[in-house]
Amino acid sequence: MKYIIIVGCGKTGRELAVAFSLQDNVVIVDINQHALNSLGEDFNGKKILGNALDVDVLEKAGIKEADILVLLTGNDNLNIVISKVAKKRYNVKKIALQVYDTSKKKIFSEQGLIIVNKTYILVEVFKKCLL
Amino acid sequence: MFIVIAGAGRLGLLLAKKLREDVHQVSIIDKSEMVCKRLAEELKGVLIIQGDATVPEILKQAKVEKADVLVSTTSSDADNIIICDIAKEVFSIKRTVSRVNNPKHLLLYKYMGVDVPIDSTSIMARIVEEEASFSDVMNLLSIKKGRLSIVRVDIPQESSVVNKELKDIILPPNSVLISIIRGPEITVPTGSTKVLANDEVIAVTLIDNEKALIKSLIGDL
Repeated sequence: MKYIIIVGCGKTGRELAVAFSLQDNVVIVDINQHALNSLGEDFNGKKILGNALDVDVLEKAGIKEADILVLLTGNDNLNIVISKVAKKRYNVKKIALQVYDTSKKKIFSEQGLIIVNKTYILVEVFKKCLL
Repeated sequence: MFIVIAGAGRLGLLLAKKLREDVHQVSIIDKSEMVCKRLAEELKGVLIIQGDATVPEILKQAKVEKADVLVSTTSSDADNIIICDIAKEVFSIKRTVSRVNNPKHLLLYKYMGVDVPIDSTSIMARIVEEEASFSDVMNLLSIKKGRLSIVRVDIPQESSVVNKELKDIILPPNSVLISIIRGPEITVPTGSTKVLANDEVIAVTLIDNEKALIKSLIGDL
């Protein structure tokens, strides 16, 4: 069983949290109680209310023990900052983050982080379907 | 010096003005078009760039690669950290200084290698505490990772050191009186300087001897 932390309980975070929680140990963090409530009955994990920029919140979520960290807040810079700290400071093995800005994807993707860019994926999918 | 400022809020603007007065070269970046237009009228001789400073291209336009220092003053802690990080990693800036908006985020600034994170809230809190307290002793500064401290002590009338010369006052080891403030006058004391009631004494001491120092100056707390 893996220990997975998801930061950001939007649409993607919610779906991912529910799916992962079927077999893994999942903690989800969001600054909004409504977002956490929206997880419903299907989610079998721990919810933490707080700002992930606060080291106390990260440690409460168990970042020291985490195998996987997924960053899905709508804020590129926040996702990048936390991913870098998680890697440098807490040695989290696998870190994936969503980054909207394609120019930032380029700078930060060299550093062993899995960067997911929606536009890029959509373009690839469309290319595959159409060409 | 050449300084790049990211964020032209009250702090960024004031800083830009001061640095210009001291004849430093300054460029300033802000997201808002309106703010930048106002800057253009208020600030002369400053390179103004409108855009998101967390985007490397914008930093480049502000000539960050030539800067000696980058200062980040935006209201978002994530943005400030990223701006300093890009300045270091992409543009090899040696010194980054940033405002910390939320004291709880200070550790992340340190973890991410921001050279000088300035936590204004905590600084304000300390000043307010000093101004509001009735205590005659104030810890002004801790240095050397908290091993040394600089304290200010108001000498009360009934203190045993009043009217004594410095050389006759027994201080704990590793403590030095560095300044006596008497009304508008600030003196660096010598052995023959007399301590008077209502003097403000500034002393530097090893943190372990701080209590003993205070006791020797004003008696038991």
